[in-house]
Amino acid sequence: MEDLWIKFGQTVISGLLLGGMYSLIAMGMTLIMGVMKIINLAHGALVMVGMYVTYVCSKNFGIDPYIGMFIAMPVLFLLGCLIQKYMINRLVEQDSILPENQVLLTVGIMLVLTEGIRLFFKSDYRSVATSYSSDTVFLGAMSISVPLVIGFIITIIFTLLLHLFLTKTDLGMSIRATAQDRDAAVYMGINASKITMITFGLGAALAAAGGSLLLPLFYLFPDIGHLFTAKSFIITILGGLGSVWGAAIGGLILGLSESLGATYISMGYKDVVGLVIFLLVLLFLPGGLRSLVKR
Amino acid sequence: MLKVTDIDVSYKDVQVLWDISFEVKQGEFVAILGANGAGKTTTLNAISGMLNIKKGKIEFLGKDITQIPGYKIAELGIIHVPEGRRLFPEMTVRENLEVGSLFPEAKSKRKETIKKIFEQFPILEEKQNKEAGTLSGGQQQMLALGRGLMALPKLLIMDEPSLGLAPVLCKQIFDNIKEINKDGVTVLQVEQNVVQTLQMCDRAYVLENGRVSLHGTGEELLNDEHIKEAYLGI
Repeated sequence: MEDLWIKFGQTVISGLLLGGMYSLIAMGMTLIMGVMKIINLAHGALVMVGMYVTYVCSKNFGIDPYIGMFIAMPVLFLLGCLIQKYMINRLVEQDSILPENQVLLTVGIMLVLTEGIRLFFKSDYRSVATSYSSDTVFLGAMSISVPLVIGFIITIIFTLLLHLFLTKTDLGMSIRATAQDRDAAVYMGINASKITMITFGLGAALAAAGGSLLLPLFYLFPDIGHLFTAKSFIITILGGLGSVWGAAIGGLILGLSESLGATYISMGYKDVVGLVIFLLVLLFLPGGLRSLVKR
Repeated sequence: MLKVTDIDVSYKDVQVLWDISFEVKQGEFVAILGANGAGKTTTLNAISGMLNIKKGKIEFLGKDITQIPGYKIAELGIIHVPEGRRLFPEMTVRENLEVGSLFPEAKSKRKETIKKIFEQFPILEEKQNKEAGTLSGGQQQMLALGRGLMALPKLLIMDEPSLGLAPVLCKQIFDNIKEINKDGVTVLQVEQNVVQTLQMCDRAYVLENGRVSLHGTGEELLNDEHIKEAYLGI
């Protein structure tokens, strides 16, 4: 009987910890969604590129993934800004191109990033070995993986920083203002295209952060991006489009249900759990968790 | 202060403004009147740099601003309070006001300006931590006006401030605008509420089908036969 409880507790805790890192990636997607009004289907590919940057830092230069993360983030910030400025914005400026086609453009960007990485790194499965990759800490009788705990703590710090940035700084408020009413933001003197560019960069940097934190836990290969696009898409819908806190909580829920699914149904079916939740949310709570908070 | 000379504006292939010219002098209260679709809002958006102007010239304080992009117009001192208020609905009242003051000068006086606005609109102080989307229509218009004032404008552009407001609130907002004008802010206002606007403005221009058809002082236009017939139903 006690064994069952330990198994359950361990499942719940690892699920929540893993979900925290999913949240980070999904927050990036939801930020971009808020300002651009489109789903960025290249988001998982940005996560994947971020992971490769951290991987190269670790493999070729011996930089610990948790430090390499702070290299991957600015690199991806820059990549995100460039994608927005020179690709997506060019479509936005054309009235005759529908927003749906911007989504198609992000699919194209995803393909280019994925195949570009494949060109350099092949399709091989890779992983970084750190001294603590397989370490565990014990909480009572439950053993929890160390990379999960570190990743979760960093996620909480980033989430709080992001919250402070969005509510307390002028740049953060300009991002929220642009997301809520782009024209009104321009009337207030906000350079909306610059804000959009910074937001895309920020979203990409968060994707890189999440990816780097997951690097010690996942095998890395060019197509892993699709997995993260799907996960962040589910979380974004679950949390309510454009809501940062919704994404944070949605990520925890997805991590938790995947973990429960893997333990109690079957390891092979853990991704199905997420997709079932996705369907149920679309059917019964189309506004996501955020619509529960709203009047 | 603001001088618009012969501007033409088109949306794609459809031309909506023809040879619009008018002028607003320092400290004046000027109104633009007209029916739905006459081109009033388009004229304001042209000034705010939101549209491509094919022909003509807009000058502000002696500077040519015809091709200046929208986000730079506000910093010059032209603040546009748009039709339908366009608040940031999920930001609090205070945050909305703060977003109104992003430029260095306005930002350095942010606290004082907020205090002044709260004195003028005590209800905004009471609701400062509520989301803007939860306010009533009248309160939202006060907030939109307050947000505009946060930038310390030289020229305040009001697009249909009475839209959707009960007559009593409408009068109150008009009184507020008049007060702001007396404090030295030049006002350019678009309205469909013809009588009240003509009574309070210094001068007015009437737009019909994208052209300026009449202009004069408020009093002159109130007594104009054409205005009486077309807009006042007398």
